Amino acid sequence: MSDEEHQFESKADAGASKTYPQQAGTIRKNGYIVIKARACKVVEVSTSKTGKHGHAKCHFVAIDIFNGKKLEDIVPSSHNCDVPHVNRTDYQLIDISEDGFVSLLTENGSTKDDLRLPTEEALLSQIKDGFADGKDLVVTVMSAMGEEQICALKDIGPK
Amino acid sequence: MESSLYGASSIDISQLQQTMQAIEYACTSIQMHVSPSESEATILSLRQSPHAYQKCRFILENSQVGNARFQAVAALRDVAVREWGLLQSVDKKGLISFCLGFLFQHSGSAEGYLLAKISAVAAQLLKRGCKAGCYEIEYLAWPTRPEARAKLLFISTISISRLDFTLAEKEAFLSEVKQVVLGVHGFVAQFIGMNFLESMVSEFSPSTSSSMGLPREFHEQCRDGFELEYLKQFYCWAQDAALSVTNRIVECDSDIAEVTVCSSALKLMFQILNWDFQFNRSSQSVKNRTDVFASSTRDDVEVFRKVERIEPGSTWRDTLLSSGHITWLLGLYRTLRHKFSSNGYWLDSPLAESARKLIVHFCSLTGTIFPADNGQMQEQHLLQMLSGIIQWIDPPHEISAAIEDGKTESEMLDGCRALLSIATLTTPLVFDKLLKSFSPFGTLSLLSSLTCEVLKARMACYTDEETWSWVARDILLDTWTALLVETDVTRDTAFPPEGITAAATVFELIVEAELKGFNASSFCLSLCNHKIFDIAAARSAFDEEDDCDYLRASISDISLSALEYFIRCIAGRGTSDPTCTLEELYSLLLITGHVLADAGEGETPLVPEALLTHFVGIVEAEQHPVIVLSSSIIRFAEKCLDPDLRASFFSPRLMEAVTWFLARWSDTYVMSREIGRGSNSNLINDHERQHVQLLSRKILFTFCGEHDQGKLILDSIVCISLATLISYPGENDLQALTCYQLLPALVRRSYVCVHLVTLDSWKNLANTFANERTLFSLTAPYQRSLAEILVRSAIGMKCSEASNQYVRDLMRQITAYLVDLSSKNGLKTIGQQPDAVLWVSSLFERLRGAARATEPRTQNALYEMGVSVMSSVLALLEVYKHEPAVVYVLLKFVVDWVNGQIVYLEAKDTAVVVNFCLQLLQLYSSHNIGKISVNFSISLLNGTNTEKYKDLRALLQLLTSLCSKDLVDFSSDSNDTEKTDIAQVIYLGLHIVTPLISMELLKYPKLCHDYFALLSHMLEVYPEKVAQLNAEMFAHLVATLDFGIHNQDSEVVNNCLGALNALASYHYKERGGGREGLGSHASGFNDLNGQSREDVLSRFLKSLLQLLLFEDYSSDLVSSAADALLPLILCAQGLYQRLGHELIERQATPELKSRLANALQVLTSSNQLSSSLDRVNYQRFRKNLLSFLFEVRGFLRTI
Repeated sequence: MSDEEHQFESKADAGASKTYPQQAGTIRKNGYIVIKARACKVVEVSTSKTGKHGHAKCHFVAIDIFNGKKLEDIVPSSHNCDVPHVNRTDYQLIDISEDGFVSLLTENGSTKDDLRLPTEEALLSQIKDGFADGKDLVVTVMSAMGEEQICALKDIGPK
Repeated sequence: MESSLYGASSIDISQLQQTMQAIEYACTSIQMHVSPSESEATILSLRQSPHAYQKCRFILENSQVGNARFQAVAALRDVAVREWGLLQSVDKKGLISFCLGFLFQHSGSAEGYLLAKISAVAAQLLKRGCKAGCYEIEYLAWPTRPEARAKLLFISTISISRLDFTLAEKEAFLSEVKQVVLGVHGFVAQFIGMNFLESMVSEFSPSTSSSMGLPREFHEQCRDGFELEYLKQFYCWAQDAALSVTNRIVECDSDIAEVTVCSSALKLMFQILNWDFQFNRSSQSVKNRTDVFASSTRDDVEVFRKVERIEPGSTWRDTLLSSGHITWLLGLYRTLRHKFSSNGYWLDSPLAESARKLIVHFCSLTGTIFPADNGQMQEQHLLQMLSGIIQWIDPPHEISAAIEDGKTESEMLDGCRALLSIATLTTPLVFDKLLKSFSPFGTLSLLSSLTCEVLKARMACYTDEETWSWVARDILLDTWTALLVETDVTRDTAFPPEGITAAATVFELIVEAELKGFNASSFCLSLCNHKIFDIAAARSAFDEEDDCDYLRASISDISLSALEYFIRCIAGRGTSDPTCTLEELYSLLLITGHVLADAGEGETPLVPEALLTHFVGIVEAEQHPVIVLSSSIIRFAEKCLDPDLRASFFSPRLMEAVTWFLARWSDTYVMSREIGRGSNSNLINDHERQHVQLLSRKILFTFCGEHDQGKLILDSIVCISLATLISYPGENDLQALTCYQLLPALVRRSYVCVHLVTLDSWKNLANTFANERTLFSLTAPYQRSLAEILVRSAIGMKCSEASNQYVRDLMRQITAYLVDLSSKNGLKTIGQQPDAVLWVSSLFERLRGAARATEPRTQNALYEMGVSVMSSVLALLEVYKHEPAVVYVLLKFVVDWVNGQIVYLEAKDTAVVVNFCLQLLQLYSSHNIGKISVNFSISLLNGTNTEKYKDLRALLQLLTSLCSKDLVDFSSDSNDTEKTDIAQVIYLGLHIVTPLISMELLKYPKLCHDYFALLSHMLEVYPEKVAQLNAEMFAHLVATLDFGIHNQDSEVVNNCLGALNALASYHYKERGGGREGLGSHASGFNDLNGQSREDVLSRFLKSLLQLLLFEDYSSDLVSSAADALLPLILCAQGLYQRLGHELIERQATPELKSRLANALQVLTSSNQLSSSLDRVNYQRFRKNLLSFLFEVRGFLRTI
């Protein structure tokens, strides 16, 4: 493999590209895909042919990772699809403000205050209760295509 | 009839009324879907209520709601079966009498389903009353109501003891039953009697019997007794009953009651012949012939219709054969058919259907019912059958036309089934001869013209629906297969000459029909085609010389047409739509593949015997049809290497066929090493001929042999596969064929690999894979498979060093990339970019593929490969902790790698690997423990759970493979000092993994199995390590075992019981030897919440007893439960006594108390049970427990 193939190295500067083109045929169930400019997770792939002796096409059923809506797309399997750059970062939770925003501690010691509490009931109550109990909570923030959301929670406090 | 059931503590009529109304209301509302769960509860409560018998009886006799009565009968049955052991003998009789009495009193007024249910219940209770081993029927006179059919005496009950009943009484009863069935008491009674006998037959046949909570042996004993004593008698009654009404039916025009009686008698006979006869059957034919096919048919092909054989044994000869019964039946059908010939509906009437079914059944008669007279009598019988059914199918074209005009097809289909039955029982020669005795042509010609008609009808209308022609074709093709395929070495498969022509006609028509099908519609390679191809293959199984010409002709036809089509392709380039041609090529490739080679699933595919024996005269390679055909197809396939031709003609679908063909073909022919395979025995004496034959065989084998064109062909095949991988981007189906079928077929044999690794094309493939980027565009699993294939081919290297070097070269770049990537600064950011994710999973898939191909020869290189990426694996696991897809691939790589390596490793390396695994487990656990993730959609949430499950399963597999180190170890050193204590490691690993496994996740059956299998293995093999576990870990272990015992899955429960047995017997033995045993764990402990609990063995003793006595479980578990219970009882004698006392005290009546006390006493004392834990003692206890449960479970569970 020659040197020009280290393409991801050059892009190390702050995730400049939000998506990456990947051959449709290699995208599999549970992978990510962009459909209608939304970042989605694939839940079903099926292939069909255009005519008997034509080329294969992939039919994707995918779910928007931020709002849970279902989307579909059909792409010739040799063509490229956009795959979103889904980033997940862990932050320590330091505060929950009254207007529904959270205050998070980043790795380099500064704070991040622009994120709302999740709307999802279970997670919301877990965060609120955990925080009220004084537990040390780490939240995972998922971001893709310019959107961010808290997607997971972990208690790292002493046992 | 007055007994304790009804009399003891009577309840007043208003209460009964109330119950009846409640039940009626529940039944009506359940039908209208109003609060179904409540209604269900009401209905079920009937079974538990204290006066169940009275209530059920009251409802049955007084209710006007059919459903309520139905439920009452069902409840009555359940209660009676449950409490059977407790009932007085007189009550048992009373219950059965009641059912039968009801049956006859209400036969006119009650609904059909109710009557059927009651007669089924009566049959079940009769059966339940059979005391295993002594089968006695007892008869009581039953006074009917005066207005009912006079003096009908019909009671049968089973005596629990063999007392009282004399032979004379038995005879008397039988004659009464006989009278009922013969119609002395009227048609309705006769009909009911017949139905009751039918219920008996189906109840006593184990496959259709209902569950009674009794062991299988009980059902088997009942079956044997029933077959010996009653089956034939019942048959004779049915026969007589049918005979007695025959005249009336024949004379009378209108629908009369006799018709119903007659058809139910025929149905009863049919049912009886369906019996799985155990006695007197011929010894050699026990094996089912159809099994042989099942292995050769593909998964997607429907399993061949099971061809019945009916072997009632010699005792039935007089009833069925010599009494003229069959003549009568055939005569009856013929007469009626003639009489109603104007009425087309008659053929579908119940009488006609049951008569035909019975006739078809008679065609399958075989075994010792026929005397050993060289098959003469059987032949006679078959001839009779054939002459009976010939009208149904002959002349074929008229029949087919009539069906197309709207006549019912059921008769014709039954005729085909009869032919199938006959064909399975005879040799082709006999089969053909049958018809000749009364007609100018043979049966084969008839079969052939019939098949042709059916195929023509099928061609006329191509629909996907199951038309009559579809069904008929399937049956007829089965018939051909039965005749053609040699499944039994002793059977003579010689074909009469006309038969060959007949078969040839059919075969041609099949090919024509299918080719037409390919063109006419989107008819793809479906089930039936496979069947047809199998026929095509079977077709070549003829032994006759004449046939050879035909086969050759057909094969070279195909080859010529293939070439011709190709020429047409080239000529018609760009001018017209090639789809039609491509489609023809596609199907020709598939057909040729099926003809030239066998599927060889799971075995080494050989050149089909027919192809070897048929072309004996040919000594020139250029003329050998198989060679001509193969080489022309390979030449054709090579054209796809030309980019222009590829773009214009080689569509992905065509390439799929090419690849499929090459895979199948090369598995059989490439460098085949079987020249010396056995030749046909009847040619042994003919030296010259044998020589010629050998010569032609040799030509066939050397064509693609090691010293001939083998290498060239191999080279082309490798080039073609590379082209499919590179030049057809995104065509997953095609690439799957290449990676999963074609290439694996090439590396399957080491002597092929020897040549393979020297080929430039193979080196090119390896180089492209290792050093270029193109193949990264394949889907990840294909890359894994490629890596596996390439590493596997290393066995073709001269020595172990060369193999290792080859693998190192192949994997060097890949590992280097991983190491490089994982050591990058800012890996965290880079790693999350989508291209990096794709890249990393591809790399790990490749490593995994390589690891899966570990062989002793390449183990070294692969070990180095794994070690070099160890730190990268851990680093990447950290980075991708939120990327489950990558984590899974990574874990799977480690699992496969450890699994391949562990048995070879020296002590030092083992320590390295084990440490690495523990680190991995710890890291994984630290990422996932206590994590809650949330998704907006349920399917994503399920997806997350599934991902977790797969990860954990992989981790358990990892531990399991580590386990195997203690059992299989190929390492050279036996230096104990450095050895890692595997058991310790596994327990530590389990300690890390178990907290991640939630009860939710254990609902995945595979995970659950793996987990408990591992756990029970560990407890059985290393119980001494358990004693050293810390309290928390131990508590967890106990909790999971507790969970496991109550699992639904009997395998899991079995595992847990095994583990319990191991724990308890270890403890008992250690204590017996004056040692600690389980130590502190066995003497009470603190659970996870810090509360103190009693010691673990007592706890399990309690819960196991609870399970055995009061809960539902499969009876298969009793013996393993006994094995676990014995050591538990021995460990905690005191507690066991106390529990026993408590249980006895809880019983309501003194009678039950003494019974239970007795049973408990017997459980631990009978059979010379001692207090040691040896095999004999375990066995005794198993027996004791089984009889104990029989004795007490019935009444304990109702309380």
